[in-house]
Amino acid sequence: MSEEKREVEIKIRELGVTFRDNSGNDVQALTGVNLEIYKGEFIALLGPSGCGKTTLLRSVADLQQPTTGDIHIQGQTPKEIRLQQKFGFVFQQPVLLDWRKVKKNIELPMEIMGYSKEERSKRADEMLEMVGLKEFANHYPRQLSGGMQQRANIARAFSLDPYVLLMDEPFSALDEFTKEKLYEDLLKAWRATNKTILFVTHNIQEAVFLSDRVCVLSPHPGRLSAVVDIDLPRPRTLEVKDTPHFTELVTKVRNSFEGGSV
Amino acid sequence: METEFKKVKRRRPQSIFQRLKNDAQWQAISSVALPMLLGIVIIILWQTQALHALFRTDTFTLPLVSKIGSIMFDIRGKLWANTLDTVKVAFIGLAIGSLLGYGVAVLTAMFPKIGSAGLSIIGAFASIPVVAMAPVLNNWTKDVSKEASVRSMVAKILVVVLIAAANMGLNAYRGLSELKPFSEDLMKIYAAPKIVVLLKLRIPNSVPFIFTALKVSVPASIMTAIVSEYFAEYITGVGRQIRENIVLAQYSTAWAYIATACLIGIVSYAILMIFQSILLRKYK
Repeated sequence: MSEEKREVEIKIRELGVTFRDNSGNDVQALTGVNLEIYKGEFIALLGPSGCGKTTLLRSVADLQQPTTGDIHIQGQTPKEIRLQQKFGFVFQQPVLLDWRKVKKNIELPMEIMGYSKEERSKRADEMLEMVGLKEFANHYPRQLSGGMQQRANIARAFSLDPYVLLMDEPFSALDEFTKEKLYEDLLKAWRATNKTILFVTHNIQEAVFLSDRVCVLSPHPGRLSAVVDIDLPRPRTLEVKDTPHFTELVTKVRNSFEGGSV
Repeated sequence: METEFKKVKRRRPQSIFQRLKNDAQWQAISSVALPMLLGIVIIILWQTQALHALFRTDTFTLPLVSKIGSIMFDIRGKLWANTLDTVKVAFIGLAIGSLLGYGVAVLTAMFPKIGSAGLSIIGAFASIPVVAMAPVLNNWTKDVSKEASVRSMVAKILVVVLIAAANMGLNAYRGLSELKPFSEDLMKIYAAPKIVVLLKLRIPNSVPFIFTALKVSVPASIMTAIVSEYFAEYITGVGRQIRENIVLAQYSTAWAYIATACLIGIVSYAILMIFQSILLRKYK
């Protein structure tokens, strides 16, 4: 890969996050993370619970203040990017507001930004079309299945045309069939929009299947222990999972955890 | 646990009772029909003096339903005037108190340090029994007006205000602050200002809690208004008429007012439920 030509979008330097736990002890959630992420790249942050992968994601989004080191996104701080509303964030749970119809939920960020009504409606329709929820625009979230709710969640994250899309274990609560469908939909949306994506997961296969690079994090203290290039051809379909190279990459990622396999 | 497990496995045929219990339509009908049936049975027992035999009482202390009904018709003008006075106190107090309580709750949700003190004070006031608060507030409002009817009205409304404010304040605060996980993060990601978080997240989230508060404070306000009338300087209201007539041993008339008090409670609760079913349709 000719990485020299590619534009660095996110630069993480010596990032460390320390929490104080209930008994007053300092816990190092993350230490000494250095990472450069290129524009349009799909990065998976992979690791067992307690390795600080969510903390890393939240630090990039300015939902968590780093104790040491810094993060720059297109030369700006996460806070500056957040205040420009240039992040899309998909949470573990589909955080849809019960009292708003699906379409109105997708329009929420645009309402906050002060888009006109016509613009909001047009953009929300595009997003609904993209995630295949067109017929469900006027349903309430509770009338949707878990998979459809998560689709709406993704549509909302894409709606503001963000620089960076941050996803925190978005599919972990879904069944395997729904997940596989959403993988393909996500990759399609990513290809169409060319966003930089940071995708947190604890599922090795998911990380390998989706991403350009898998960043492996290890716990106690949370740190970046390896970065594995995933050179599977794109566009990827689920058949990729049956190839020997896929299995090799999964093994390679698994072996790169420090402190043995998880 | 284990025995329950076995039961499920064996799949016994469901009894009629169980099948009806799971039928939504039957449930909707029975939740109205069964209490009404109970009411009708009691009225029949009452009118046929079976109740009197049961409680060893007479038709002077516990007049027949027909007698109470005919008295209610005879004194309908007076009954209506007193009902209006009670309802006025209850609902003006409920409205002011609920708004005040909601305001304090919003303040607490926005500025926890200032607001939580206000919420505690309201909560403390509301824990004073109405029978203790009513005479005190009667005394405090002595100089409000030269008209006895006005200053009595103010005293009674104030008691209701305190009860309703505490109820709304504590419930609404929960609704404004107990948000869905990550929903505050969501607002932060989009750099939503505090006022937008309040308008688009906190206030809509609190709507079901407003009804939780009202379901308690609508009947409580009527009850408080009725009890406050006992201690008021100016003689008016359904509650006061119950007392006056009992003192005069006019039990039939007292019962006419008791029945009226019940009707006020039932009708206002029914109105609240209709509002709830319309306004909460979005929520569940």
